[in-house]
Amino acid sequence: MNSPDLPAASEGTRRLTPGELQSVAFARAALGRRGFDEEQVRNFLTYVEREFVQLLSERAALADEVNRLRSQGAKGASNVMAPEDAHFQAVRILSQAQQTADMYVADAERYTRELSHEARLHREAILSDAKGRAEHILEDAHRKAAAVADTAVRATEQTARPVPHQGGLPDTERHTLELEREVAYLRTYSDVYRTHLRSYLEALLRNVDEWEASERASLPR
Amino acid sequence: MDVQRLKDNFAHVAEQGDAVALFFYSDLFVRNPHLRDMFPIGMSIQRDKLLRALGQIVARVDDLGTLVPFLQQLGRDHRRFGIIAEHYPHVGASLIATLRHFSGPAWNDDIEGDWTAAYTLVAKVMLEAADEDALTRPAWWDGQVIAVERRRFDITVLRVQPDRPLPYQPGQSVAVETMARPRLWRYYSMANAPRPDHTIDFHVRLVDGGPVSPVLVRTTETGDRIRMGAPVGTLTLDETSQRDVLLVAGSTGLAPLKAILEQIAGRPSPPRVHLFFGARTRDGLYDLESLSKLASEFEWFTVVPAVSEEVGGHGFSALLQAGPGSVRRPGSWFEPVPRTDGDVEYGNLSDVVARHGPWNDHDAYVCGPSAMVGHTVEQLVQLGVPREHIRLETFADAQR
Repeated sequence: MNSPDLPAASEGTRRLTPGELQSVAFARAALGRRGFDEEQVRNFLTYVEREFVQLLSERAALADEVNRLRSQGAKGASNVMAPEDAHFQAVRILSQAQQTADMYVADAERYTRELSHEARLHREAILSDAKGRAEHILEDAHRKAAAVADTAVRATEQTARPVPHQGGLPDTERHTLELEREVAYLRTYSDVYRTHLRSYLEALLRNVDEWEASERASLPR
Repeated sequence: MDVQRLKDNFAHVAEQGDAVALFFYSDLFVRNPHLRDMFPIGMSIQRDKLLRALGQIVARVDDLGTLVPFLQQLGRDHRRFGIIAEHYPHVGASLIATLRHFSGPAWNDDIEGDWTAAYTLVAKVMLEAADEDALTRPAWWDGQVIAVERRRFDITVLRVQPDRPLPYQPGQSVAVETMARPRLWRYYSMANAPRPDHTIDFHVRLVDGGPVSPVLVRTTETGDRIRMGAPVGTLTLDETSQRDVLLVAGSTGLAPLKAILEQIAGRPSPPRVHLFFGARTRDGLYDLESLSKLASEFEWFTVVPAVSEEVGGHGFSALLQAGPGSVRRPGSWFEPVPRTDGDVEYGNLSDVVARHGPWNDHDAYVCGPSAMVGHTVEQLVQLGVPREHIRLETFADAQR
């Protein structure tokens, strides 16, 4: 699953470079899942972590080296540089190590910021998609129900026509007609609504399962 | 001590910016490797802080009236980092070495004398303030997270039990360090008035790319340990005032205002209180349930929720709550169903507040993101609220 852009976590001798941090690219997650490919992101984090640990132990080694040099200098060994120079050199080396560490931290922070930003955009897109769908379901249910109700009314009117009254239907019949229309509307409406809602909720449940699984997998320890 | 000579020398050195602080810390750590552990791995923010503090000290070195309180606070603040008297001479030595290094040929015994005198004074004032502070309170408070409520994917309410009581004024905040991110401190407001069991609530919002807030929001669990510094902050209730109270909270800016609200609730005859609670979207109103409960409990308290990036009349939740009858249908037998989200106002928080005025006889307390706080204060002043009746706090930019 490793893309060629991602440094393989098993290459022990390679060192992380700022350029790599800037240019790392993750594959999109597998079909049906959102975000980046998890395994790649995790591998990459492991890789960065190992670099940090190495950096820290290097720094500790440097400090030891400084102490050794200073004690040598104090002993007045002739083939050793002056304590003053050794000190400046140590300061310079430590400064460089610190700057490298700072750069890694800054790169890592920028990287997570971009990642979170994208995740937020995804979230908003999903939400507005869901809202759109919901409105579509309601509209659809309404449209179908209205059509069924109209058909029902026309059918009743036609059965009623052969018995003409003076100027139209009596109130009771008109009322029955209206009720039948409403019943037909409601039946169809709830039918369509239920069907849509069921399939939508099932899809949501699948999403929640997926989310839970990926969160569990990403938790440390 | 020649003040002008000292200022000139610092201006010259400070031109070299970050390199100065970088040299200072490297020199300090090479001479005293054991001090390295007192600092975070990433040091860039630390270096900025050092240069800023030095600049402020040097700028005020001939104005003891403002310099001394600044240094006293600095001395007290440093207690929670575990800085003690024996560290001060090391810092002084590295500071002098750094200034000497960057002054080049301009350095001489006189300048060294100026700096030594100045640093001796600074260290003395800081240490005395720290020692005095130590008579009345500990350097820090450790505590344990006893409850974690994830209110939204990026907002969590933490309840912390300090190991010993942590006295504070409602509205104040403390610097917080989590053991998962050592040496990185972030200010959070206590979101409750002091309780008999001394527990404290924090409302934490995840800042993208921040090193600390994502850990607090997403991975903190009950049982985790945190460390807290001494309470600070001036967004506190004016208890001498007889005026009614207006609270304006943007997002987790609610925390200190909720503490103030609870403080008011404890009074024998509370004033009328209006709380405006704003967020970008409805699901950002993470504490509305609890506020609504308080509003139904206290007749003197009104809460007005507001969202700025949703428009009334749309949205799935509104449709669901309203039921199918809200879909326009010709000849419907249904009466239009009233929308049940009518309790949320739409618009910028400051505009919503303005719509509900007048507020000119109120005390106003405003907390939230800086743009929101700025707009609200501006509008309140325009509406006739005297500026001295407004207390405010913006999210520290360091709440990452």
